[in-house]
Amino acid sequence: MTDIVRENAVPPAAAKRGATPTQRMLQIAFARSDFRIGLIGFGLLVGLAIFLPLVSSIDPVKIAYSSKLLPPFPAEGWKWPYLLGTDQLGRDVLMRCLVGLRYSLLIGVTTVVLMFIVGCSLGLYAGFRGGWADAVIMRLTDAQLSIPMIILAITILGVSRPTVPAIILVLGLSGWPLYARVARSVALGERNRGYVLGERVLGASDLRIMLLFVAPVVLPPIAFVAVLDIARMMIFESILGFLGLGVQPPTPTFGNVIADARKYLLNAWWIATMPGLFMLVSLTCLNLMGSALERARNAVLRGEA
Amino acid sequence: MFVLSFLLRRLLQGSLIILLVTFIIFTLLRVVPGDPARLIVGGMAPDEVVAMKAKELGLDRPIPVQFVSYLGTLATGDLGTSFVRPKSGASLGGAAFDDQTREERAKVLDLILATLPMTLQLAMVALVIALLVAVPLGTAGGLYPGRWPDKLALALGSLCVSTPNFWLGIVLTLFLSVKLKFLPAIGYRGFSYTILPAIVLAVEIVPFILRTLTVSVAQVMREEFIQLAPIRGLSRSRTIFSHALGNSAIPLINLLGVQLGMLLGGVLVIEFIFDYPGLGLLTINAVLQRDFPLIQGIAIFISVMFVAINILVDLIAMTIDPRLEY
Amino acid sequence: MNGPILAVSNLGIDLQRAGETRRVVDDVGFALAPGEVLGLVGEAGSGKSVLARALVRAISSPLEIVSGKVVFEGKDILSADRRELMAIRGNRIGFIGANPMGSLDPRLSIGSQIVEKLRSVKPGIGRAEAREKVLDLFGRVRIPSPDARFHEAPFQFSGGMMQRVMIVDALVSDPSLVIADNITQPLDVTVAAQIIRLIDDLRQSLGTAFLFISSSLPVAAQIAERTLVMQRGRIVEKGRTEDIAANPRQAYTRTLISRIPPIWNNVSAPVATEAEAVLKIDNVTRTYRVRRRNTFNGFNAVKAIRGVSFTVKARENFGIVGESGCGKSTLTRLLAWLEQPDSGRIAFLGKDLSQLSSRSLTEFRKSFQLLLQDPYGSLPANMPVQRMIEEPLLIHGVGKAEAARLAQEAMAEVGLSMEFAERLPVGLSGGQRQRINIARALVLKPQLLILDETLSALDQVEQAELLDLFTRLQATHGFSYVFISHDLALVRRMCHRIAVMYLGRIVELADNATLFERPHHPYTRALLSAMPTLEDNRFPRSRYLLDGEPPSPIELPSGCSFRSRCPRAQGDCQRIDPPLLVIDGGNAAACLHMHEALTEKETADVE
Repeated sequence: MTDIVRENAVPPAAAKRGATPTQRMLQIAFARSDFRIGLIGFGLLVGLAIFLPLVSSIDPVKIAYSSKLLPPFPAEGWKWPYLLGTDQLGRDVLMRCLVGLRYSLLIGVTTVVLMFIVGCSLGLYAGFRGGWADAVIMRLTDAQLSIPMIILAITILGVSRPTVPAIILVLGLSGWPLYARVARSVALGERNRGYVLGERVLGASDLRIMLLFVAPVVLPPIAFVAVLDIARMMIFESILGFLGLGVQPPTPTFGNVIADARKYLLNAWWIATMPGLFMLVSLTCLNLMGSALERARNAVLRGEA
Repeated sequence: MFVLSFLLRRLLQGSLIILLVTFIIFTLLRVVPGDPARLIVGGMAPDEVVAMKAKELGLDRPIPVQFVSYLGTLATGDLGTSFVRPKSGASLGGAAFDDQTREERAKVLDLILATLPMTLQLAMVALVIALLVAVPLGTAGGLYPGRWPDKLALALGSLCVSTPNFWLGIVLTLFLSVKLKFLPAIGYRGFSYTILPAIVLAVEIVPFILRTLTVSVAQVMREEFIQLAPIRGLSRSRTIFSHALGNSAIPLINLLGVQLGMLLGGVLVIEFIFDYPGLGLLTINAVLQRDFPLIQGIAIFISVMFVAINILVDLIAMTIDPRLEY
Repeated sequence: MNGPILAVSNLGIDLQRAGETRRVVDDVGFALAPGEVLGLVGEAGSGKSVLARALVRAISSPLEIVSGKVVFEGKDILSADRRELMAIRGNRIGFIGANPMGSLDPRLSIGSQIVEKLRSVKPGIGRAEAREKVLDLFGRVRIPSPDARFHEAPFQFSGGMMQRVMIVDALVSDPSLVIADNITQPLDVTVAAQIIRLIDDLRQSLGTAFLFISSSLPVAAQIAERTLVMQRGRIVEKGRTEDIAANPRQAYTRTLISRIPPIWNNVSAPVATEAEAVLKIDNVTRTYRVRRRNTFNGFNAVKAIRGVSFTVKARENFGIVGESGCGKSTLTRLLAWLEQPDSGRIAFLGKDLSQLSSRSLTEFRKSFQLLLQDPYGSLPANMPVQRMIEEPLLIHGVGKAEAARLAQEAMAEVGLSMEFAERLPVGLSGGQRQRINIARALVLKPQLLILDETLSALDQVEQAELLDLFTRLQATHGFSYVFISHDLALVRRMCHRIAVMYLGRIVELADNATLFERPHHPYTRALLSAMPTLEDNRFPRSRYLLDGEPPSPIELPSGCSFRSRCPRAQGDCQRIDPPLLVIDGGNAAACLHMHEALTEKETADVE
């Protein structure tokens, strides 16, 4: 039935303007309410995380016993401006969350960018060339997938002061196979297309074909994977922090803050709960965006736009 | 027979991967700073004692040599002896270097086999919970794309995947265990101790099932043979249950193998939080104590499990979809 | 029962999209008598498929039935309740679609699915009884080894076999009406002819009425006694098929018929002339190794091309025809030098391609270009049109400004308006996309253009326009064309010389007139007899159409590969594999007994 409908279909406005598949995917995503909610929510939080610590006089690290263990708004006993309460050393929970968000984002985004570059290059090459290169790279990804990230992380990081680059490296190692696989399957799909064959008949080099024609096709499927992965990496980073293997105190990250707050769970539940909620909200926004992108891309693939 | 040749090929490839993984972990442990010998004899011990211990454990030889001899012991089925844990089961650390009770280390294989059933139990319960929640919702989402089941699936999936598992564990412990006294949380003294950790693990599994099912069910419903089925005279329920679901299951099963590594990570953290005596807790402690043989043994064991599960998954997929054999 | 089995009146169906409503089926009415075959012919977009689905009420948003009645065996389907509908669909009315390979669940055996259907519509039948019925029908539609094939999955069948399976699926419930929607479109021409013959036999023995829907009047004419012609949702003409073909009354029908290329009468077939050779293929072979399933490391050898030789001259159109599995696609890849032959030579403008250095090969690649079938997959989605046309020039080092100029020239020459220059190919029609492909090929001033089913995905009008374009371009630039196609009508119109391929070999090579008027190889005659046409076929199907399908290229029969289906096969055919034997002039055929065959035919004609 769908072919009958498609036979009579009107090229939508986007097509009339001649947009690339990536642009069309973005257009559909922006039209979705879940994408917009996620974008606004995430944007707000990121904005707060970047700017508030700059303008505020509250120090997330300085110890201030006078204001310790204040509950959050609207519980009894709360004090302005400590909206989310304070911890056992008098530090503002909200401010610590925002600083933690900074680190999470920094690590998450950097890791994803690196994984994207390395993974996609390897995957494109493997899928396009086939043969030896393909076999080697695929076995590498298999081996990588067989080593759970946690073991790798604990092994490498459970030793000296974990630095941000080391954390990024460990996280990146755990996730690149996904990008390689997606890029490879895209390359395999495009390899036998008419225009690629045509290019070969013309004598174009493989590199030219890969960069000019195949690489842009990788973008839509990877885009949403990358957004979702930023969230995933942020969670990994917080797990590492929780185990004591992430960025060390007194710099607050979600992981180490929550780990620290475990002992105060019964009396001052907010110290552990608020950071988690904060993470939950930020990541849900990211994931809404990512899922919306995925749905948008599927719609483009099916030719609905 | 086809299955035999398939198995043979996959086992060969699997062995190569296991070998590779073993070598990586082996080397990594010896290259990264942190001396197990010193940990064992205690920080206060003089250098000569540390050196003697290192020699006794064979850590002073070059890495390739160590690896080969390790492979040799492996071939006999012996995964080695723990550096750290005694047969009695208690964990060590920090005592004086000439303490006599440090002898009689436990065998790695025994340690693994003792804790494996616990982890399996946790995984099974988590899987059941996740399936019970995600399969009906995911299927409904795929059958009615764009309507409320689909939106609910999307929202729930996003929520679950945004929740840090350790935080959820802590919060659930606070509410369900401490405040409401509904379920026990820490340690293990009976099956009910598995439930809370399993819920947290299930929260990690649910989004993956939801996402895959909604997309694949929706896709299958658009296929021509599904559209044609009512015209040929098949009832709607038969079309959905016999044909649509069966075809939707394939991508789900295929991706399962890939997701295993991620799930294992979750298991580790969860067992750590709840002090649940499974393979995950064993692993974390082993790494923190630099217990080389135990770490290596676990790594090999996990790789073998992964390879086995991947092969099993492929076999199941081939049973469901005969096209894959060709 | 008396009276028509199906009476449609005043049927109207709307399509809602982007806020607009379009009427895709408009005031349609017709009647079908029991046991009758009614043809329904219309071009793409005429609404015939929508109509077919409406007859079984398989219409859902964004389509909507807004008026009319569909009275089947006395009951109006459109107002029937669910139970009545379920008693009719799949039971009293059968349906066969245009995509046999996608019509059944790909994971399960076809036998079990047909049994499932039968037991769904006739709940009283037991499993064993149902199975018997299915196997019996398998025999009737001539599926070999029915017991074994019962358990196989759809992908293990060829298109033609699968369509037979779907015929069984439709007939298994003893329906009084079967709707056949474009069922022969994806099939090879001889297979399609077999299916039509099969349906004709079945309906005569079973008394089933058929509504035979097709986009081609000649195809429908093979089987339909009466025909309806549909245009833009309305029935514009109806009557006995013969009458419509001979004396169309409506202008649309007249246009439709005039567009059907003549094959037998009033044909001005191009005549071959002498010229120098542009492309010379000499005894080329190509074999693929395919992993064998049941062994650890075993391989099967698929002999895709088994010794092919021919020459293409300057300014000539050379046609290569054949059905699935004949090796056409492999040959295309070899001609375009995407793959190299395992043995034999390919020489272009006198130079052996395998002997060229990689630099001169790249240089040489400018002289021959490849145009493929799929207008959608052949254009990258991310590149504007003009840039796409510049691409070949840029690869060969032409400067940006010069490339832009040449690209625009080429666009003008193929009839692409300049407004497309900066656009992405999204939303362009198949015909427009192929023009882009042609412009891309032109821009390097090649001497040879290889056209692999280039027009197959286009409708009649676009095809005709592009063929005119090809002729014009040839007059201007002096190209040679190699047309690789399954469409004999196309080849009849365009080609000077034609090669017929079967299982990796050329079985006949002749000039246009000789091939169509005095074919020597039995396979050629079978092909010609299978061609749907409104004219009197010189080679009636009753005499020349073959049974069965070609053997697998993995297990070829010894001696002549055609002997397993050949009506003339004799003892020596089993031992000797005939090469192309010269008939006269440049014509040849690969048959040991071709002269005897001809003599017999001439005798038969005289009688």
